[in-house]
Amino acid sequence: MRYFKETLYDSVCQEFRIDKVYFESRTEHQHLIIFHNAFLGRVMALDGVVQTTEADEFIYHEMMAHVPIFAHGQARKVLIIGGGDGAMLREVLRHAQIQATQVEIDQAVIDMSKEHLPNHSQGAFDDPRANIVIDDGIEFLRNTSEKFDVIICDSTDPIGPGEVLFSQDFYTLAHDCLTPGGILVTQNGVPFFQLDEVTTTHQRMKKVFADHAFYSAAVPTYHGGIMTFAWGSDNPALRQIDRQTLERRFSDAGFRTRYYNPAIHQACFALPQYLLDELAEQKE
Amino acid sequence: MPGRKVIIGASDRESAFYEDLATRYGTPLLVLDRQRLIAQYRRLQRALPDVDLYYAIKALPYVAVLQTLNEVGAGFDVASSGELDLLVDLKVSGRRTIHTHPVKRDSDIRDALRFGSTTFVIDNASELNKLQPYRGRVGVLLRVSFRSESAVVDLSRKFGCLEEEIPDIVREAERLGIHIRGLSFHVGSQCGDAGRHVEAIQRCAQRMQEVNAFARAPLATLDIGGGFPADYALEGLDIEAFCQPIRKTLAELPADWHILAEPGRYLVAPAVTSITRVIGKSLRGDIPWYYLDDGVYGSYSGQIFDHARYPLQVLRDGPTKPSVLAGPTCDSIDIIAEDIALPELETGDLVIGHQMGAYTAATRTRFNLLPDARFVVIDHGNQESDAVGG
Repeated sequence: MRYFKETLYDSVCQEFRIDKVYFESRTEHQHLIIFHNAFLGRVMALDGVVQTTEADEFIYHEMMAHVPIFAHGQARKVLIIGGGDGAMLREVLRHAQIQATQVEIDQAVIDMSKEHLPNHSQGAFDDPRANIVIDDGIEFLRNTSEKFDVIICDSTDPIGPGEVLFSQDFYTLAHDCLTPGGILVTQNGVPFFQLDEVTTTHQRMKKVFADHAFYSAAVPTYHGGIMTFAWGSDNPALRQIDRQTLERRFSDAGFRTRYYNPAIHQACFALPQYLLDELAEQKE
Repeated sequence: MPGRKVIIGASDRESAFYEDLATRYGTPLLVLDRQRLIAQYRRLQRALPDVDLYYAIKALPYVAVLQTLNEVGAGFDVASSGELDLLVDLKVSGRRTIHTHPVKRDSDIRDALRFGSTTFVIDNASELNKLQPYRGRVGVLLRVSFRSESAVVDLSRKFGCLEEEIPDIVREAERLGIHIRGLSFHVGSQCGDAGRHVEAIQRCAQRMQEVNAFARAPLATLDIGGGFPADYALEGLDIEAFCQPIRKTLAELPADWHILAEPGRYLVAPAVTSITRVIGKSLRGDIPWYYLDDGVYGSYSGQIFDHARYPLQVLRDGPTKPSVLAGPTCDSIDIIAEDIALPELETGDLVIGHQMGAYTAATRTRFNLLPDARFVVIDHGNQESDAVGG
């Protein structure tokens, strides 16, 4: 019997029983495994770090897709950077009015996910409203003349292939590819263990966006309590949408969710005190 | 450096064994006996039952070696991203590795973290700054310097902080939010006895207790390094006896401390045998010179870098006279043995090098673009009493 031990931290780690290996590959400097776990379903791990599991991916993807889209209210064009497993595209396309562009650096990730994580994309890659571009996310931003209402950065850990998607250049380029009042959201790690990720992102995003904040959700297999999502927009009002408006937008959208709802939406911008203190210290 | 052990002649069985390998694979060869490697690992485990062993990949960075040790549950001491790549191929979990190079580039740290290797060795405060961006993820061992006069290769001159510096480095690490797990040391290579190990363990333990009196998080890991010898004299090394004083000293440490070691030489040296062929001979003055197809720029590079004198064996018996064994390159320093008593050899004869696993192929060069010794893996079996392995 094999076990997968996560290798994020020296002093603690979570372990998963591998009940069946679906896929395992080593590409240059990269170790990818997709396996089955009795409780979590299919689990994908990259370089020793859990990326997604069938059991709890809905929390992550619903919160990254629906919070900015419902907050915006008028979003038509959405850009997803990364997200090769297709679940972000799936959630974004549930909004009937939206045209989505997804920029993934590696076609192989999409092909492999379609085959071994089919429940993530559920056919989203074949949706006529989806435009899939194989390119480096930051290069795409640098070269495109398109503007987007919402940009969602579904990246890997900053140590690894996703590194550039946490750079000052990336935040600046993303800002310039937004329509006026557009929103950028990025995955930003588990602050209890990786507080530096929050403070670094904070330093970089506040230089670019008139309004910048974090919101949170607890994704069980991202071990360590809540994870944060970074939020940047030039329109501070989008972070303060009232409950009734959100209820109306959600009900008009006409789909069901498993984690997201308007009450969660409003509450998720509340941060624990240790994070607020840390961010306040950064301002000085 | 003691003299070199030379074996003249071989049993029919031994001769057939080497001739068969040479015929089948060509020469020069380096032959890894997996069973011998496993036996060495098990012996050291028995001699140090409460110590987690991390094989020092640098000693012989070959996939077959790592695979064999992986199968018996060894950990790995990694010093570079190149060494990490070998482990990725084998799907070894990063949690069974430690990164021990005291001086790292940012890319080394990032490669190690991506691989999942989260324990790093440092020996100075400026190295702490490099780990600061990753402070939430890493654990650190602080390498302390103990000079060794009895060890052949002194590893404490280039690396290791002074004992007196430990408290300040721990305080600086605390200020930066980096956790120092404990201390590490290297008493040197090919130690004659475990006296230096014992002294270093005792001094480290004392320093750790002193630090633990003020530190926020206790130091509770002690990495006792390597220094476990190879049997270059073919005298029948008793690792159990060598380790006995270490075991006794470790038994006095707090039971919840985690003890590691980084054996390299002891594990691989006896598991690899070199097979070379005489490719030419000449008489210079009265002295016969025999030219082999491997030399100090190749598998015998450890004679230069590692100051090793490998036991040699010729299969032919007969009256001996002082001779020279030279390597195949054009350089005059490419001499494996001078003034060595040998029977008259003929072109085509085999010359066997024993105990040739550690720091041999690892440090060879491409000089003259001569072909590398081919690396062959066999499962010959555990034959400790039969030092020649044949």
